[in-house]
Amino acid sequence: MTERPSEQFNRRTLIAGTALGAVALASAPASAQRCPAVPPPRTKGPLVWLDLDQHELDEAYDQSVYAFNQQHITDRRNERNEVALKVIGKPDRVAYGAAEIERVDIYKTSRANAPVMIYLHGGAWRNGRSALNAYLAEPFVKAGAHFINVEFNNVGETNGDIAPMVDQCRRAVAWVHRNAAGFGGDSNALYLSGHSSGGHLAGCVVITEWEKLSLPRDVLKGALLGSGMYDLKPVRLSARSSYVKFTDAVEQALSAQRHIDKLHTPLVLVHGTLETPEFQRQTRDFHAALRAAGKPATLIVAKGHNHFELGESLGNPYGVMGRAAFEMMKLATGA
Amino acid sequence: MTAEHQHKLTRRALVAGAAAGSVALAAEPASAQRCPAEPPTRVKGPAVWLDMDQQDIDEAYDNDVYAFNAKSINDRRVYNNQIARDLLEKPQRVAYGPTEIEKLDIYKTRRANAPVLVFIHGGSWRGGRADQFTVYAEPYVKAGAHFVVLDFNNVGETNGDIFPMVEQCRRAVAWVYRNAASFGANPNEIYLISRSSGSHLSSCVLITEWEKQGLPRDLVKGAVLGSGMYDLKPVRLSKRSSFVKFTDAMEQELSAMRHIGRINAPLVVAHGTLETPEFQRQARDFAKALEAAGKPVKLVVARGYNHYEVGETIGHPYAVLGRAAFEMMKLA
Repeated sequence: MTERPSEQFNRRTLIAGTALGAVALASAPASAQRCPAVPPPRTKGPLVWLDLDQHELDEAYDQSVYAFNQQHITDRRNERNEVALKVIGKPDRVAYGAAEIERVDIYKTSRANAPVMIYLHGGAWRNGRSALNAYLAEPFVKAGAHFINVEFNNVGETNGDIAPMVDQCRRAVAWVHRNAAGFGGDSNALYLSGHSSGGHLAGCVVITEWEKLSLPRDVLKGALLGSGMYDLKPVRLSARSSYVKFTDAVEQALSAQRHIDKLHTPLVLVHGTLETPEFQRQTRDFHAALRAAGKPATLIVAKGHNHFELGESLGNPYGVMGRAAFEMMKLATGA
Repeated sequence: MTAEHQHKLTRRALVAGAAAGSVALAAEPASAQRCPAEPPTRVKGPAVWLDMDQQDIDEAYDNDVYAFNAKSINDRRVYNNQIARDLLEKPQRVAYGPTEIEKLDIYKTRRANAPVLVFIHGGSWRGGRADQFTVYAEPYVKAGAHFVVLDFNNVGETNGDIFPMVEQCRRAVAWVYRNAASFGANPNEIYLISRSSGSHLSSCVLITEWEKQGLPRDLVKGAVLGSGMYDLKPVRLSKRSSFVKFTDAMEQELSAMRHIGRINAPLVVAHGTLETPEFQRQARDFAKALEAAGKPVKLVVARGYNHYEVGETIGHPYAVLGRAAFEMMKLA
């Protein structure tokens, strides 16, 4: 990937981006965190996607195969949530829609007219709740930004349909824009972030035709997408179709890579070098397509991070995603 | 550990500590991050330390056996270190002693008369150099504290002797005290942070009889010790004795556990639940002994962290060691 200066980001981002080895860094073998490192030999079947057979494609969309420490990272997160809630207090939970689940958790900062980070959680579309990500809020709140965790349905609750989840995330963002002043937020400084399937949902949110909702096209001033999926075709071919009811319409409408012309938000895209081959490729290809279309996009390739470790780094202003978010929002760390 | 001896730590630290499960959390099976998780069955030999045979204890002092992702974490540190080096001003490198290695790197904060955090690196006593740890400096410098990284010999350069390394660390800390004003630091606010063999060295610094050098006994105002070793006997029995030339004098004088009466600073002692059985026990037993002696201590048991992941949090103001240091130094 080559780096072209993108004026939407400050110089530090670019320096960091370069230092990050975003320039033509060869991917580390994605098997590095498999346990055992070398899977038992087997006969490869017919190719179903690129050079992957069914088994390989299924594994390339199954994080637990490539991140042996998934459960440990979950344990860490749960503990950090408890600590963070004791320090920053419970969020305000406000409805953005009619359904019970349609709520946003607002972690308020004390700064007036503050920028807002909106976060869409991951969990392969079928897991995750906003309360599980309280820990991500603490650094932002302390640095003078509001942090909003969006609650939305999991795909097990929508009969396998992702479209309502995307619709919920879009309505949540619209709600934040319209109501920012009410909680001390600056409606002209809204930012979005998401990780994993939350990165997919965020990809769909940034291609929303906001003008049709009477909102400014650039309602989101920047978005940070970690380890996401931007074309659903290979996902549809994988074992994930056992619980997501993909249709041609879903695949087409919710593959952000096919709607790049609708994008009016500068993006920072991140993946780890220890992610599955497909999660590395999805981010790489989306970035290449954005650059080819002349859209502002920065690619960060995070060395030594697997899928979950990358997501965890959003909660550290000195970690990969946290640093990128702080720079995007021009938040200062410390004195 | 209960809260009764923690009067020198802030209330927030206590709340966080309680939430962090530091209260009597049962240890997880330390094998959780071995690959394969279940080692092949073998006939156990005679016990050489507690319930461990020679292979058990050798493995219990070999962190890579219990941290499958050791290399990935190192890659991550190298990568994040380069980012920090590109962002921060170069440290001031100053001699604290006559030999070439006896230098320390000072990462300066802009705040006047600021507190200082001195970092003593790990690496099984045989690895590590100051310039690898810029990544840990950034949060402190930005939050208004100076961060000082010590260089000192590795045990391969001292003919297997740890004494000169401890002595170097002591001289470096004394240098920081005497010269604090020269770089805008407050000599009455010197703190230590460390991990792994660096925490062994830190604990030896903490038992220094400073008054014999005409220095205040409470020269160090607090320390965060991650994943260290505080009694060298089992280490001596392990294969680490192939590169450290342990002697009775070394074992006795450099086991902080045996000199607790000389400790005059409140401590945070931390380990991860995924560390080796011995690295968990060393931290637990040290904290217990400190508490029994009426010394202010907080034990932090970090759930879901292995040996290297605990160390990584020195550069993370919102996780284990970084959070503890920020609270200890009252940094915002």
